[in-house]
Amino acid sequence: MSEPLTTSADDVLTVVAEALPAWLPSQRWFGGKHREITGVRPVAATTLLDGDPLLVHLVVDVEQGDHSSVYQLLVGSRRDQLPDVAASASIGALGEHTLYEASGDADLTATLLDLVVDGADLGDLSFRTEPGAEVEKGLRAHPITSEQSNTSLVYGQQYILKLFRKLVTGDNPDLRLHRALREVGCTHIAEPLGSVTGTLDGEPATIALLQRFLPDAADGWVMATTSVRDFMADPGSDPGELGGDFGGEAERLGAAIATVHADLDRALGTESVGQDDLDATVSAMAERLARVAAEVPELADHVPALEQIFQQVADLPTPLDVQNVHGDLHLGQVLRTLSGWIVLDFEGEPAASITERQELRSTLRDVAGVLRSFDYAAQQMLVGEEPDESMAERAMVWAEHNRSAFCDGYAAVAGSDPRDQEVLLRALELDKAVYEVGYEHANRPDWLGVPLASIARLVSQEDS
Amino acid sequence: MDDPTTRSSNTESPAPDHALEGLDDTPHTGESVEADGTLVEPQAGDFEHHQQDAPQPDWFKSAVFYEVLVRAFADSNGDGTGDLKGLTSRLDYLQWLGVDCLWLPPFYASPLRDGGYDISDFRAVLPEFGTVDDFVELLDEAHARGIRVITDLVLNHTSDAHPWFQASRNDPDGPYGDFYVWSDDDSKYPDARIIFVDTETSNWTYDPVRGQFFWHRFFNHQPDLNFENPAVREAMIDVLRFWLDLGIDGFRLDAVPYLFEEEGTNGENLPRTHEYLKEVRATVDREYPGRILLAEANQWPSDVVEYFGDPAVGGDECHMAFHFPLMPRIFMAVRRESRFPISEILQQTPEIPDGTQWGIFLRNHDELTLEMVSDEERDYMYAEYAKDPRMKANIGIRRRLAPLLENDRNQLELFTALLLSLPGSPVLYYGDEIGMGDNIWLGDRDAVRTPMQWSPDRNAGFSRADPGRVYLPPIMDPTYGYEAINVESQQGSPTSLLSWTRRMLAVRKQHEAFALGEFVDLGGSNPSVLSYKRVWTRPNGDEDVVLCVNNLSRFPQPVELELADHEGATPVELTGRVRFPRIGELPYLLTLPGHGFYWFQLSELGDQGERRSMS
Ligand SMILES: Nc1ncnc2c1ncn2[C@@H]1O[C@H](COP(=O)(O)OP(=O)(O)OP(=O)(O)O)[C@@H](O)[C@H]1O
Repeated sequence: MSEPLTTSADDVLTVVAEALPAWLPSQRWFGGKHREITGVRPVAATTLLDGDPLLVHLVVDVEQGDHSSVYQLLVGSRRDQLPDVAASASIGALGEHTLYEASGDADLTATLLDLVVDGADLGDLSFRTEPGAEVEKGLRAHPITSEQSNTSLVYGQQYILKLFRKLVTGDNPDLRLHRALREVGCTHIAEPLGSVTGTLDGEPATIALLQRFLPDAADGWVMATTSVRDFMADPGSDPGELGGDFGGEAERLGAAIATVHADLDRALGTESVGQDDLDATVSAMAERLARVAAEVPELADHVPALEQIFQQVADLPTPLDVQNVHGDLHLGQVLRTLSGWIVLDFEGEPAASITERQELRSTLRDVAGVLRSFDYAAQQMLVGEEPDESMAERAMVWAEHNRSAFCDGYAAVAGSDPRDQEVLLRALELDKAVYEVGYEHANRPDWLGVPLASIARLVSQEDS
Repeated sequence: MDDPTTRSSNTESPAPDHALEGLDDTPHTGESVEADGTLVEPQAGDFEHHQQDAPQPDWFKSAVFYEVLVRAFADSNGDGTGDLKGLTSRLDYLQWLGVDCLWLPPFYASPLRDGGYDISDFRAVLPEFGTVDDFVELLDEAHARGIRVITDLVLNHTSDAHPWFQASRNDPDGPYGDFYVWSDDDSKYPDARIIFVDTETSNWTYDPVRGQFFWHRFFNHQPDLNFENPAVREAMIDVLRFWLDLGIDGFRLDAVPYLFEEEGTNGENLPRTHEYLKEVRATVDREYPGRILLAEANQWPSDVVEYFGDPAVGGDECHMAFHFPLMPRIFMAVRRESRFPISEILQQTPEIPDGTQWGIFLRNHDELTLEMVSDEERDYMYAEYAKDPRMKANIGIRRRLAPLLENDRNQLELFTALLLSLPGSPVLYYGDEIGMGDNIWLGDRDAVRTPMQWSPDRNAGFSRADPGRVYLPPIMDPTYGYEAINVESQQGSPTSLLSWTRRMLAVRKQHEAFALGEFVDLGGSNPSVLSYKRVWTRPNGDEDVVLCVNNLSRFPQPVELELADHEGATPVELTGRVRFPRIGELPYLLTLPGHGFYWFQLSELGDQGERRSMS
């Protein structure tokens, strides 16, 4: 059989689709690791760079029983001179050509940026810069190393291109909210510079988002845990007096989040919701609680108290203001830069299901998210250690100090203190904690104690 | 308070030089008075001149400065007080250490009510320090060792004991009548703030002799000179000429923002002040090329840059200015284990003209100045560094470096490494190179002005006077006392702080990038690690790049550095010349011990570097 001189995008798609059931579970961005892959259906293939090496963009539909999700892949094909990419990147072979996941191949990924700057249209894909954005061509990229559910490529320390691994049709909130915030001049975002859009089932789907990269940034989680580390090493000190105090940063973060909320309101407006929505919110919370409690016996003791706290939400006065929010805010989604705090990733909750989409779009949801994150940061050092009462207490002190500094900062900008909306804030925080209990139980049993401790504390505050 | 004005009654005014002390047998201002009332002043020609070498205009950009208090360094005549001859006798030590320029706070004749900044004669030396001839000898000996000397000069005001002021108050119509800012009432310039809020209630003080109020931005015994008067402007330039003729290498100009006052303004940084500085600078450039002016303006860098003058001509006011806010930020960054306090202030620091340089310091003779931090930061600094109220002065903290850092050698080294590698010419404070302590029980600012500790001998080897006569007792506590901490023992030990400091100065000198290179903050995902490079392009086009990585945390840290611009280069550690793994396309991984730091040269030379390090 004679060797084809070049490989075509469709050949690549066929081979890759066959190899994927075995290969996908080894990729850290693959979200469906817990179910068996029952089939991979090729959807589309687009040649981005022709010849040898070849770069193709693939879309595949991954079926897992009754469940299916669409993913995108960048696949490189080379006959020889394989680039220095991880062994796990190798997917298969097509004749003498090796096929591999190409996001680590800087020679190939440079193409993506160039296509965006050129405003190219290839197959279904359209590459665009944002109006007025000036983007430089010809930069090489490498993927960021942090744990991620998408794949982000950094171009010459100037731009970051996020390839959404899992594709959904319709409005991509990350792109939509970034655009809206750019429009009103929000200073707390990484400026959106361009995007790639494709089609899925005849509808547009966002493939990638290009943003300004902030090389001076450190993420909020690392900043906060630095402070915790310092605090834990000095038993007996007060967190506000500590060298590594995070209170000032927490306060500035609160102010930044309140500013983003105000900017979102300015850009996209506020609506009000009535009793029906409150009732729906309460039942979503109660359903989640029931579902998680059925799987996690440790939660049982708290169920009655939690139900009662959720129920109080139904009695809140209506109408209630809602607006666009971040939706999945935590310390890992914020970056400290030299000019202040930046908020990333407006995708919303990654695993948002139908019920969750009904969730109340209240700014307090984001506040609750950050408050939960302070608890996590405080307790992360205790995970996997022998239980230690005094350390646990110290963790609580740290969390309380920074939670309150965050609310102070938020209140100073928003003009009203989130803590004054106690009923809703507590319910949202506890709802989030219940979600965490379910998640940790399934994925990281060592961490289960973190949300459980928070629930115990919040519930007992209610009693007193 | 012995105010001479209350003693002098009006029948016959006292001689203008009556308030000078100890200068009877020495040339001084006002030793005689001409018929028109002009005071006779000493001239440089009256003294033996020092000859300057050919000027090297940019020397200050790469110099290491050393602030030394004449009183505190060495006592040559056994009277218990340090003096110029004593300092001269210790120049070998300073040369050995690697110092390029001495900065002497004022050594002029003075009633010493403000640490010598209250100058009563610009043309005479404080008698206990010696004479003008001793100063010329110091210049000779320093220059012979390649060390330059600059000193403070207060342009804004004089002591009320200055013969000019005495002449001005006694003879309003005489040649000095307009030398100061006089007014019939105290209502003018209400928008100028009072700087010394602890002691002063007004910027105006009534003088019963002249029957008018005089203006003073600082203490009420320091009347402001009237720079509106052309004779004053010229007289002050003549003061500069006097010392420049004798061979001095430059001046730190004190309190420059306040020279002029103007109704409806705060009296700071006025355009006329800048005009005058340009005039002073033009005189220096024309008549004394290679000598420098350093501005003391305790303000934000964005305001201080004004004192460098016009960037289009490379700067036409002061050659140097202190960067005040950097120092407290270094302290904050290490306590917070966060690079942001330092990175932020450097990012907010504007570009400076080509022909200028910042002066940076960790400590100086004043307290740890906290004027340039926010209220929140100031509270924090007090909480961290001044636990005892005695450690606090006005708005500062009076402590030396070693006690501020709890004598932790790792931190002392980290701070010094930052001082030597951040942008600007470093200014060391005498004694910090051996880790001297302070004595917070001494009043005012004396805590950090105790005698230099030379040896474990009596009086720390500073003076052969009876211990009771030494101007301040040397530090004697078990940790910082002179028996434990002194030059003699540290010179003999290769691992001492002194030997380490000397090595670091030598390394710094080998790489002009530290002095002249562009500062590039490398950011990075670990907030506890401050990394930056200094990039200097030599006149021949070669690049000299040094990479500095500092762990601000007490815990060990990993860091991934984005060095793709230097792919293929080999980092060579500068103190031991050890070669590190080559830089590839991916982030460069380093690990640092708690409070550790690295200085690397990014050698593009490949194997050549190897050969050099093996030879
Ligand atoms: N503009 C930027 N500048 C600097 N770093 C960035 C930028 N955008 C993202 N990062 C880094 O990349 C990480 C991941 O980014 P992001 O949250 O957008 O990706 P994601 O795949 O949606 O993440 P997750 O899986 O956590 O939802 C961030 O935590 C941050 O460290």
